[in-house]
Amino acid sequence: MHNVWLIARREYLERVRTRGFVITTIMIPVVMLGFLVGSIVLGAHESMDRRIVVVSQDLPLAEAVQSALQTAPRTASTVQPNPGHFNLRAAARPLKFTVDVMEPATGTRDLLDQQLDSNEIDGYLWIQPATAPGGQPAFSYTPRSSSDRATSDAVTAALNKVLLRQQLARSGATAGAADALMQPAEVQPVRGSHHRDRASSMVSIGALFFLMYLVIMLYGMNVARSVIEEKTSRIFEVMLAAVRPEEMMAGKIIGVGAVGITQMGIWLTAIFIAAGSSSGINIGGETLHPSLTGPQVAYFLVFFLLGYLFYSAIAAALGAMTNSEQELQQMNIFLMLPLLACFVALGTVMMTPDSTLAQVLAFIPPFTPLLMYMRVSLGHPHAWETILSITMLAGSTAVLIWLTSRIYRVGVLMYGKRPSLSELLRWLKYS
Amino acid sequence: MPIVELQHVRKVYDTKVAVEDLSFSVEPGSMFGLLGPNGSGKTSSIRMMIGITLPDSGAVSLFGRPFDRSVLARVGYLPEERGLYKKMNVLDQLVFLGSLHGLSTAEARRRSKEWCERLNIAEALKKKTEDLSKGMQQKIQFISTLLHEPDLIIMDEPFTGLDPVNAALLMDVLVEMRGHGKAILFSTHRMDQVEKMCDAIALIHNSKLVLSGSMREIKARYPRNRVEIQFDGDDAFLRHPAVASVKHYPGRAEIVLRASDTLNDDSQSLLATAIRCAQITRFEITQPTLEEIFIEKVNESTPRGNITEIRHTAGRPDQPEKVAAHA
Repeated sequence: MHNVWLIARREYLERVRTRGFVITTIMIPVVMLGFLVGSIVLGAHESMDRRIVVVSQDLPLAEAVQSALQTAPRTASTVQPNPGHFNLRAAARPLKFTVDVMEPATGTRDLLDQQLDSNEIDGYLWIQPATAPGGQPAFSYTPRSSSDRATSDAVTAALNKVLLRQQLARSGATAGAADALMQPAEVQPVRGSHHRDRASSMVSIGALFFLMYLVIMLYGMNVARSVIEEKTSRIFEVMLAAVRPEEMMAGKIIGVGAVGITQMGIWLTAIFIAAGSSSGINIGGETLHPSLTGPQVAYFLVFFLLGYLFYSAIAAALGAMTNSEQELQQMNIFLMLPLLACFVALGTVMMTPDSTLAQVLAFIPPFTPLLMYMRVSLGHPHAWETILSITMLAGSTAVLIWLTSRIYRVGVLMYGKRPSLSELLRWLKYS
Repeated sequence: MPIVELQHVRKVYDTKVAVEDLSFSVEPGSMFGLLGPNGSGKTSSIRMMIGITLPDSGAVSLFGRPFDRSVLARVGYLPEERGLYKKMNVLDQLVFLGSLHGLSTAEARRRSKEWCERLNIAEALKKKTEDLSKGMQQKIQFISTLLHEPDLIIMDEPFTGLDPVNAALLMDVLVEMRGHGKAILFSTHRMDQVEKMCDAIALIHNSKLVLSGSMREIKARYPRNRVEIQFDGDDAFLRHPAVASVKHYPGRAEIVLRASDTLNDDSQSLLATAIRCAQITRFEITQPTLEEIFIEKVNESTPRGNITEIRHTAGRPDQPEKVAAHA
């Protein structure tokens, strides 16, 4: 045990003292924050002004659409943004429409298309009068950019509203009655104590997810690289004359992991200091209050530790099997693929943390650390699910470490070609 | 009580036999040479002595008891492939390796400084290992092997890559260690060093022991049938009937005399003939060198093999010769 401690301490001190450690500790949060600030600032400066043209022979209809677009706030965020509460999407600000009305003439379409091309207008709505009396007119909307969904949605909503009002008028409702009928229901999101500041905690949880992903990947790679470094510098034989390969591997994983935990600790402390301060983190006039509950942090630590052990064991085996960084690059896929898969599945798990897919995925040990953490933080998994997934992860980690230590024992003294699968299986049989 | 004792040790990697039926022992206060060409099983044997690998059959005893990891603190091992942490500060590195062998930090620190002063590299202590010259790194490695004052010092090719001055310095240290009663085992294929320093040797070839015993004993088995002459003048005397073979260089000849019961008379007769032909500046009768014995033994054990030169002049390749799986 003393040897494990000595090796871990060496790994830790040699890493923490490097400039690289200081740089990544500062740069990673800076870059992440930079992205966040960047997207908010960009969003805030994005123009909300839209200019569209309504082309119709039926001028009253066109004017109704015009007024509907120009007066109504066009998004769901009629709810006042809570001051001191971070708005995830700046797009929640309402669009402001300027609407021109035209009668169709020859060449109108060409003219409008030209204006679209030269960015003078954002789209035009073409209303074809109904062919049969009492029938619906045909509408076609040509946007400048098909990705501008917000504008198309707003136009559609305005049209629906106008048509509905027409129908009501036709069936004899007075204007006042129609207005009353069309009053939209307002739903105020109620903040219970449990789900306080959901958007804000989403940000915190997302940030932690990303940090966990990053640290596991970064430090897993570090373990593999440091094994290779010891192989190429031939320090192994010196070490093996004093310690067992298992002690070396354990010391290395613990030492490198401790560096990751230190870095994580620095980041978490920074987040908590920011959360504790009353002002929050002020970004371009909007405020970010990171909020995390105690259990969220505890689960984070459990899943992070197990995840790190799981992946660093794989990394140690990869390092022991290869002879150079280049060879490691080729084998890296075994480390990266499961982690990337978690990232791909992140969307689903975040949106529907309690869906069957999320449940199943979170039980697969390589995915458990990241995905189960997400489920625990955002969804409501049963207690047995949490316990079972942690048990399965811990169990498979133990098996993996056992396998790895055997590969390690043989592999570290191997120089030369990479072992084939059958050789690898033979290594496992050596004692 | 021998410090190291190998009894019928055998090691097989996959299908390749690395060591076959190897037995020898190393006494305290002696220097033991483990000889053999590349790939003959020297490193494999050494690895089994210190438990990096285990023999498939046979027994390894250290300090009179079957091998047990607890004795490793009494062993200093310098592997053939030198290795240090490149980015690490030299003093930290020595202290780390010393504490793995059971030294306290303070003690390891004190001894590291002492040793570095003794080997004239005190200025290296504060530097990063990668900033040192290769020779200095070798010295650091050498110190790390001796820091914990081991009773058994095992060195795999300790002098390769060292300049003569430093090689001599390190040899002096080893000779002094022997004087203190330590057992020293080193492997080499530099026969001249062995001849000068070793009390006993084991010679392995193709995984098998071909010769072992004390230096004196081995040498005594061979007749004094080598003659070296330096001369000026006619070389007709080289056709003397007692001469079996000659290596003829300008002004110098290395002669092997025919095997006979009257070797002494033969050599005197050769000298008499030579004096008549040429001006003799040197005439020396010797036993075969260890190198010659080695070549002879190796050729005996592989009838078709034709090794005539085993001394390595070029540096060793970076990759070790064996890549077979090591369990």
